[in-house]
Amino acid sequence: MKKDSIAYVVLFTFVACAAFIAPLALANEFTKPRVEANRLFATHSAVLRAFGIAYADPADAEAKYASLVRPEGSGTDAPPYRATIEGIPCVAVRRTGSGLWGSITMIVAADERGERLRGVEILDQVETPGLGGRIDEPWFKEQFRGELLGPDGLGLDQSGGSGKGDPDKENARVDGVTGASRTSDFVRIIVNGAIAEIKAAGGAK
Amino acid sequence: MKGKNAAIMKEGLWTNNPIFVQVLGICSTLAVTNNVRNTLIMALGVTFATAFGSLTLSAIKNLIPRKVRMIVQVLVLSFYVILVDIVLRAYAPAISKQLGPYVGLIITNCILMGRAEAYAAANKPWPSFVDGVANGLGYGAVLTAIAVAREFLGFGSVLGLRLVGDWFTPWTIMIMAPSAFFLVALALWGSKSLGARAEAKKKAAKAAAGAPAPAAKS
Repeated sequence: MKKDSIAYVVLFTFVACAAFIAPLALANEFTKPRVEANRLFATHSAVLRAFGIAYADPADAEAKYASLVRPEGSGTDAPPYRATIEGIPCVAVRRTGSGLWGSITMIVAADERGERLRGVEILDQVETPGLGGRIDEPWFKEQFRGELLGPDGLGLDQSGGSGKGDPDKENARVDGVTGASRTSDFVRIIVNGAIAEIKAAGGAK
Repeated sequence: MKGKNAAIMKEGLWTNNPIFVQVLGICSTLAVTNNVRNTLIMALGVTFATAFGSLTLSAIKNLIPRKVRMIVQVLVLSFYVILVDIVLRAYAPAISKQLGPYVGLIITNCILMGRAEAYAAANKPWPSFVDGVANGLGYGAVLTAIAVAREFLGFGSVLGLRLVGDWFTPWTIMIMAPSAFFLVALALWGSKSLGARAEAKKKAAKAAAGAPAPAAKS
């Protein structure tokens, strides 16, 4: 068969596609359970951190998630999540909102009346590394832990803040990230939306 | 054979460096170099895909019909890139999450297609593999140098290790894409100047060797 004939071109293209795509499909199938386990662990550990439940390693995290957290949606990891921490019934929700370059997905936990935050975790974000991307840094997330929530939810101090996190837990405000005012405001909007969801979930109980 | 491999390595790493001389793969240079760790992973991914892509394409080059040559090149290179993506997603989820779409975008890196078309299509499999490794490493070396400068000036750290005290004010611009433009331009300027100087020296030496010897005084 001539190399430039239509039959050879069609046959070669078909065989080449099958030869290279089949191993990829196999590799994808082979790693699928591991990828799913990674995704589940990312969600479960984020829920635990948002509730403020410490864990030593992935096995410990899964054990604590199974014993302390009660997901109420359909499936084993569907929000809202409930947990009783230090005798206080708490609720966590997963909420996605706009960011500067794409969506930001967060886990937000608070007491079920939505009066005080337990904590927040970032599940997914594509903000500018080193600027908006700093919302995933511990100092930024830690200032939400135990923060009192006002009637209007959470406020943001973008200009007057120290830029290193607001230590006052009673002022219903957090510091934004210096140089990333819009991303910080997007986080505030997502958190306040999540608080409304938590209040609804708490009241619906 | 050893000498030939060394010559191919020198070509990829310096005399025909993909960034300095071929000016290929610049988009990813801008995208991933604000963090040394991500840069190293990216460089490894590009080296792997270029080397094995060139090896495979060279091995089957006599079977590929001319009409579908480029389609087959894209197919083979995509195969290796997607393989890297699958492995990272399964075994290094944190890095996979940080690199995001950039791993998949290795396929759009001009170095891969460039070497497949310019070298692997006309050479035997082993030299093509060495050429892929050399070009991947040449690309990785330049990227890493730029990433070290950007991460140090932008964060005060290298590979996440803080190297300066709290007195240091991070240069925010170094974290953003424009700084990579400045640094790549500076690196190109430096390498071109060095190359021009070496060329001038070579010419002068040739001219001196070719010039008639001055007549001896009696």
